[in-house]
Amino acid sequence: MFVRMLQLTLLGVVAGGLSALAAIAFVETVLWLNDLLLISARSRMMIGEGWLLIIATVTVPALGGLIVGLLCRAIPERRPHGPPDAIQAVQTLGGRLPLRSGLLTAGASMVALGSGASVGQYGPLAHFGATLGSWCSRLAGPGRYLGAIGVGCGAAGAIAAAFNAPIAGLLFAHEVILRHFSLRAFAPVTVAATVGYLVANLVFDQEPLFRIETVSVAQAEEYGIFILIGIGGALVAIAFMRTLLGMQKLAARLPLAAPLKPALAGLILGVVALWLPDVLGIGKEVLRFAIIDDAFLPGELALILVAKLLMTALCLGFGFAGGVFSPALLMGVLFGALVGYGAPLVIAQPSPVVVYAICGLVAVTSPVIGAPLTTILIVFELTHNYDLATAAMVSVVFANLFAYRLFGRSLFDVQLARRGFDLSLGRDKAILSTRPIRPYMTTDCVRLDCDQTLARVRQSLVDAGRNEASVVDAGGRYCGTITLGRLLSLADTGTSESTTVDELARPAEPVFTDTLSIWEAMSLLEDFIGESIPVVDAEGRLLGVVYEAAIIRAYLDTVHDIRREEHAAV
Amino acid sequence: MLRFERWFVLTLFLLLGHSAAGDPLTVVSWGGAYERSQRIAYFEPYSAVTGIGIEVERYGGGLQELRRQVETGEVRWDLVDMLLAENLAACEQGLLLRIDHATLPPAPDGMPATADFLPGSLSECGAPQVVSSLVLAYHADAFPGEKPARVRDLFDLERFPGKRALQRSPMANLEWALLSYGVPRQELYSLLSTERGLRLAFERLDVLREHIVWWEEMTEPARLLDAGEVTMASGYNGRFFDAMVDGVGIVIIWDGQLLDYSVWGIPHGNPHPERALDFVRFATATPQLTEQARHIAYGPARRSAAARVLRHTASGLDIRPHLPTYPPHLAVAIHKDHAWYARTQERLKQRFEEWLRKGR
Repeated sequence: MFVRMLQLTLLGVVAGGLSALAAIAFVETVLWLNDLLLISARSRMMIGEGWLLIIATVTVPALGGLIVGLLCRAIPERRPHGPPDAIQAVQTLGGRLPLRSGLLTAGASMVALGSGASVGQYGPLAHFGATLGSWCSRLAGPGRYLGAIGVGCGAAGAIAAAFNAPIAGLLFAHEVILRHFSLRAFAPVTVAATVGYLVANLVFDQEPLFRIETVSVAQAEEYGIFILIGIGGALVAIAFMRTLLGMQKLAARLPLAAPLKPALAGLILGVVALWLPDVLGIGKEVLRFAIIDDAFLPGELALILVAKLLMTALCLGFGFAGGVFSPALLMGVLFGALVGYGAPLVIAQPSPVVVYAICGLVAVTSPVIGAPLTTILIVFELTHNYDLATAAMVSVVFANLFAYRLFGRSLFDVQLARRGFDLSLGRDKAILSTRPIRPYMTTDCVRLDCDQTLARVRQSLVDAGRNEASVVDAGGRYCGTITLGRLLSLADTGTSESTTVDELARPAEPVFTDTLSIWEAMSLLEDFIGESIPVVDAEGRLLGVVYEAAIIRAYLDTVHDIRREEHAAV
Repeated sequence: MLRFERWFVLTLFLLLGHSAAGDPLTVVSWGGAYERSQRIAYFEPYSAVTGIGIEVERYGGGLQELRRQVETGEVRWDLVDMLLAENLAACEQGLLLRIDHATLPPAPDGMPATADFLPGSLSECGAPQVVSSLVLAYHADAFPGEKPARVRDLFDLERFPGKRALQRSPMANLEWALLSYGVPRQELYSLLSTERGLRLAFERLDVLREHIVWWEEMTEPARLLDAGEVTMASGYNGRFFDAMVDGVGIVIIWDGQLLDYSVWGIPHGNPHPERALDFVRFATATPQLTEQARHIAYGPARRSAAARVLRHTASGLDIRPHLPTYPPHLAVAIHKDHAWYARTQERLKQRFEEWLRKGR
């Protein structure tokens, strides 16, 4: 037990520290590229308006898109990875994230963000952290579930470092990635989040994402508006996610070579940025201005909100590597501020606009990443303000309720479901759907050629002590099943002993193919009465049978594995 | 220690060697208490050691005169005391000679100059002298009850009525205007890089427009406060300190102090480049920088000098709490983005002048 504790703690320290360092290096590289490539406001101001700025604005995102597209060709799935891949790896009890794809995705995301694409940085950070964590767990040695814990540690360390928010990092890993709270995972993930925070805060003295001076909620009636922000934020989030999925479909139909698609998106983004530079990159300046009273006209807020939504959906849909959190955060702040600008029409002396902006922030981000607790904690840790966190809590709850009803738990889950990994009924179903039934098949069954006579069949069944026999033709293809009971009833009706079985066997209902998952097998089993189900390959050749008891064992094995992981102490 | 002394003797030898050519050096500086501290710490000791005279000219910053001299080839200035941002801009425009920092004297403990000078203070064509700071201050008698303590109080005419004396320049005024919205100090320059940021800053200055007395001479703010013509003023902390020592009731608001470096620059095509460089090596050595801070409340640009500064010679005061680099003051300081200013100050100045005209 002591060795196990040491192993888990070390995994937390190493994975958390490594992912935090990677996160800091990532963020610094992006900032450096933004300055170099005339994406950051500061560098644009320093160069001044002129042809150089115009050319850079249009070509940098387009070339960035081309490089991203080329990098993604080296990934086996030909697309950048992200948090959904980490979720899937963990939820299937494997916890293995390929290092090569992780590195390529991180590189592609760095190029995308560095060249000003309208994408987020936290998704890539969390995924890269998770990849490093998975790699650490492989070094840590063999151990069931260690992979999943490593992934959780890496994601927690990266988020803790990037946001300067250790508790949010801890919760993110559990709420979004691991989705259970076993002590065995909780302990090392907490260690990782703390180490990530220490690395970011004490070693590198990173500045927090945003600082908000003390504000409080002025009127009790405003909580009513926070509920409305929650509902409206959910609608913004859904509009964003649907547009993104729509852009993905559009891109798939586009007759262009894959690397040219993100390049095209970059080009369009660059042209829009000539007129509205706020859409470039993460938009840190817009974020800051949106929480200042009257920095914008309401029309400007709405315009930037719509432009950001479309540009982000375009960039991500067309294959830019990057996350959804930062753009959603910006959209949320803009939406909340917009509501805040209208608040004086309804309430006398409302709170400052920053309160509304924060409510909007959580109301849009939480449905997108499916993490209400994490977003509340992020607000709390970034602002150190109870009032704000409480207000945000109200918005989050309604946002998540609405979005769940109208869309799904999160963009990640919907993306996974579209890849055939459906977590909407919990991980039991998802895991049962990915585990094949094939290992539970046995060849220990009575197998008869179709030219056998009735007498031989009866003898074979009696010799084997079985009730059923599967009949195959000369090519080994499955023809049907014959049971001892049917043989008896045939004898009663006086069927000739020399009749061959091919005339008598009936195809069993159901028949399994060898690629069937446990979940599918179980659902086919609902109306089944009998002893075993034949398993055939793609050509219809009989491979063996699955006994009913084996299916129950398969189910119990899986559920037992899941419960063991979710309730493990050390 | 030995290395330092050997170096010092060598310098003296070199300096003495040059004394034969009797031309005086023409040094351009900012006048007032600041120039006096330079005279005591740099000019007089240099003349005493080398026999070379120093003629001081006075200017109010800006690159016009320097550019004119370099472009016409009639360079009279040997050394210019300039703000770091202007030094960077002038260097980029080819108006200054490069200075090899490795040839600057090491610290007494042997630490090379490149490591001893404060990070970010070294520029290609500059050798740093002191950390100065533009601060806000008010007259101790101006507000009987509540006292201003934050930058945003500058813009609060209700709580803190009265005229404000501000430098006729976008520098610091834009930073303070935007800071008063509650944005973090670290984000100021990226926010001021956007159209929206500049607009917000000028809108905040609009609030004060009718209440501003613009100053251009460094000595003006303290005088205006002393005469009661304004209740609050911006100004260089060293000048305010000097007035305070003279008995003027000035209180400095350290919140939002804008840290700057004054550095030596050597004009391109000046008649005595080698001698000018010798002077720079002499003046930026630890003992000289230490001595200057004993006469004005600016922090030495070298760590080794900062560690030795204790008292203000004339008043006997502990000088450390009056330096911009005093840790509590440093914690609330705006670190001026010199590179940003080097590229943008002319455009900002234009825009600022337009804003001034609009109000008339």
